Amino acid sequence: MSDDTIFDVQNVTLRFGGVVSLNDVSLHQNRGEILAVIGPNGAGKTSLFNSLTGVYQPQEGTITFKGRDGKSMEIIGRKPHRVSNAGVARTFQASRMFSAMTTFENVKIGAEDHHGIGAIGAMLRGPATRRGEHESDERTIELLDFVGLRERANVISSSLSYGDRRRLEIARGLATDPQVLLLDEPAAGTNPAEKIQLTSLIRRVRDEMGVSILLIEHDMKLIMALAERLYVLNFGSVIATGTPDEIRSNPAVVDAYLGTSADAAKGA
Amino acid sequence: MSGFLHYFTSHFSTLRLEFWNLLVGGFANGFIYAMVAIGYTLVYGVLRLINFAHSEIFMTGGFAAYFVMKVFVPTTSTPSGMNSVLLIALGVVVGGVVGAVMATVVERVAYRPLRRRNAPKLAYLISAIGASYFIYNMAGKEFGRYNTAMPQPYINHPVFTIFGAPVEMYYIIIFVVGVLMLVILDRLVATTKLGRSIRAVAQDAETASLMGVNIDRTIAVTFILGGIMGGAAGFLFALNFGVANTMGFTPALKAFTAAVLGGIGNLRGAVLGGILLGLVESFSVAFLPGEYVDVTAFAVLVLVLLIRPTGILGERLGRSA
Amino acid sequence: MMEKLRSSAMVKRLFSSFAVVAVLCVMTGPPGSTATPMAGITGSFTAPASFFGLFRGQRWMVFFVIALVFFGVWTLWLKRGTQIKGAVSKTMAQPKEVLERRPVRIGVYAVFLLIALVLPHVVTDPFWQDAMVEQILVFVLLALGLNVVVGFAGLLDLGFVAFYAIGAYATAWVTGALPLPPPFGIHLDSFAAIPVAIILAMVSGVILGTPTLRLRGDYLAIVTLGFGEIIFIFANNLTGITGGAAGTNAIPHYHFHISSLNVIWGLGPVPYYYLTLAFVIVFLIIFSLLNHSRIGRSWTAIREDEVAAESVGINPLKYKVMAFAIGAASAGFAGSLTASQITYVSPSIFTVQFSINILVLVIFGGMGSITGVVVGAIIIQTISMFLIHTPPAGFQTQDLYIYIGALLMVMMIFRPSGLIPSKRRKREIRLSEAGEGHMDEVLTGDTP
Repeated sequence: MSDDTIFDVQNVTLRFGGVVSLNDVSLHQNRGEILAVIGPNGAGKTSLFNSLTGVYQPQEGTITFKGRDGKSMEIIGRKPHRVSNAGVARTFQASRMFSAMTTFENVKIGAEDHHGIGAIGAMLRGPATRRGEHESDERTIELLDFVGLRERANVISSSLSYGDRRRLEIARGLATDPQVLLLDEPAAGTNPAEKIQLTSLIRRVRDEMGVSILLIEHDMKLIMALAERLYVLNFGSVIATGTPDEIRSNPAVVDAYLGTSADAAKGA
Repeated sequence: MSGFLHYFTSHFSTLRLEFWNLLVGGFANGFIYAMVAIGYTLVYGVLRLINFAHSEIFMTGGFAAYFVMKVFVPTTSTPSGMNSVLLIALGVVVGGVVGAVMATVVERVAYRPLRRRNAPKLAYLISAIGASYFIYNMAGKEFGRYNTAMPQPYINHPVFTIFGAPVEMYYIIIFVVGVLMLVILDRLVATTKLGRSIRAVAQDAETASLMGVNIDRTIAVTFILGGIMGGAAGFLFALNFGVANTMGFTPALKAFTAAVLGGIGNLRGAVLGGILLGLVESFSVAFLPGEYVDVTAFAVLVLVLLIRPTGILGERLGRSA
Repeated sequence: MMEKLRSSAMVKRLFSSFAVVAVLCVMTGPPGSTATPMAGITGSFTAPASFFGLFRGQRWMVFFVIALVFFGVWTLWLKRGTQIKGAVSKTMAQPKEVLERRPVRIGVYAVFLLIALVLPHVVTDPFWQDAMVEQILVFVLLALGLNVVVGFAGLLDLGFVAFYAIGAYATAWVTGALPLPPPFGIHLDSFAAIPVAIILAMVSGVILGTPTLRLRGDYLAIVTLGFGEIIFIFANNLTGITGGAAGTNAIPHYHFHISSLNVIWGLGPVPYYYLTLAFVIVFLIIFSLLNHSRIGRSWTAIREDEVAAESVGINPLKYKVMAFAIGAASAGFAGSLTASQITYVSPSIFTVQFSINILVLVIFGGMGSITGVVVGAIIIQTISMFLIHTPPAGFQTQDLYIYIGALLMVMMIFRPSGLIPSKRRKREIRLSEAGEGHMDEVLTGDTP
């Protein structure tokens, strides 16, 4: 695994009863890359995400993640909260917010340090605790500014629009100070204006915060605009990989997914 | 260490001696657990929740059958022959009907209003606990808080022996009634339109309603079926143990264990789980002092939930097997 | 015409009104027995009753009138309910806003504290003085503890009594009151027994919780129920260790020797009252601090969406076990306190009904709301004690649970957030009903 690789997935197979969700999947992500995974519905993209974050345990293969300290870590077999602490953040296909909390509280939960118990310290509000809270408050405001949700900080998160919910999830994910951010269909349910904002936000996350991006999307325009490299999944297997231009003209991909070359050229 | 070994070997020899006795007794108890477990598993299938009030359905069925037996069983002579058969059938029917009525009332009063407002699942559990408390304490108030023996509609005697273990009439009754009712229910769920709608709702309620299945009615029928089985089981249980307003708690807890053991939502699993639990419990009598027998069922529950929570036959919502 | 009649909402309402009131009539009527099963039911309707001492008749007449009134109020509510609710919230808006201001709240708490401090000197009836400690304050303590488990962490624990029992028996053990001699033969005094009781209860909480708190909510409820039963069976049968069904009554009262200061509790309920009150206040403050800390926020996150909480680094099991242990600690403490006060412990105290009783206090008061739970506990326990002390005709102590059961159902149908709800919980319930959020997953175990 080279110094530059942040995710190294080798021959991962995931089965549920009789169904094979991921079939001998191998891929890698380089540090600082905006990598995309595309494919028809049911191709196994979210299963891949869930495997990368420790929610699912593939029966075969390895997933190696290189954290901040440069040490490699095996993801399979780890609980999701440990994967998060190691530096992998994610959003969910149907945004999962803490719906009765405000926008601010949602992001703050991400910013707080959940290591250790420290019940006594937390209760007594000693100087260390108060400093920690102050820091997480500040960080939360910074992130809300970054994603553009500052004005909606005290709104109950369930009343946010789809586009705002996506941005909230991104802010919350960034609050955990990750190395890589996994975005599961961030553009789903958003209108064209929101899509443009989202595209520039995602790019800013990589450019200004140095966080690598791995994204699942169906919206081809978004993909072509953002992704530096793609993997194409179909029926749980990787059928192609390459730059957006290479993928667009790959006949197998065009066949399985994008439709005719004419449509692909229009970027539909 | 040698003390432990001695304990085991002496109890093992008890087990060997009593094996067939314990087997038959365990089977009989197991059938009762199975019948009650069906109620849990059916409701779980359509509502995805444990019906905490099922214990009182068992109890009220038993009580109703008791009152009917009190009226029809002559105090001077114990009936026999055809009279016995008729009386037993009457007890089963009354127990089943009252169980069904009570189940319907519980569904209407404790669950349906919550479904109407799409309440969080926690509310259903708490409401069911409330219903259970209400019912058994009301029964205690109206009928007394003590155990009363059930007038026997038959003469209990060993009918035949298996390897020296007597098979009492009581066991025969349980087997016959149990097998009859379980087979009828199984066929009902597997072949009739009613059964299909139950399985459809258990698998995917939204799609089922889009296909024209009346959800409210299906759920009501599910409760009724569970209530019939539970109430009849109450009668059978009370034949041996008598009635008391608190009679539902422990058997129902064990029946729930049986349902989970066999695979919650799985009808045949409930039967398998019931019989298995009855046997395990019965054999544990050879190793543990009598008062600790109830601990066995609980231990089984914890073990199953920790090791294989989907049960032996696996969770099978929407399928009867 | 029949169809119209049958499906008419009004007819349904009329029928329901009479049904509900009939049940109420039987609930409050005379009891029966197995030999005379209809005695209670018929007696409820035919027993003599009077309209405020004026007109003499039978109960069914009184209840007939009540049913009509019920129907009337219900119909009125349907027609004008939203208007009435609107008017009420408008008039309540100002006072509510005032109540929420910090200085006002502190003032209200101070008034309550004052009342609590003065109470034993105002209420001198011995029954009530005993009840205030054993039945009200101790139960407030227990409700506060269960509130951490059910209200903060969202776990349904039906075996809370087990930790109460462990605390009580632990106290009996180390003070030498059990057949089983205390460890190392050292007889501790009752005060020193408190930390032992708390630690043992906490350890049991961790031991029970660690394997079982991974389970989905309704299975957890059953497992905790079973655990409570197991503790009862062991306490009842390990006669050589626990004294069996008889228990023990040799537990010493609290006493205090510091040079010339010699305080012995137990000469009357009043000293115990102040001791318990002090502990209630301490626990109240601790739990409130917890709720507003990072830990409280983590509990909220787990409650509202466990999967999302995991994705930001929260370990749900750790926080659930913590809540469980904290709840167990307060129950253990309450057990220790009670054991020292009444100087005996026996398995008969540790019933499932006890656990449900505490649950009702939390649910009625408002799960997750410390103020709600305290107020709810005081109200329900006071009413219960009142009913036991001066029972109305035909009332048996166990009948209490009929009302508790009915209360649980009514609360769930009409006001699941409780009497004085925690704002956040109320919001969560409302959102859950609207189909938002993933709060149910704790209970149903559905994963993405």
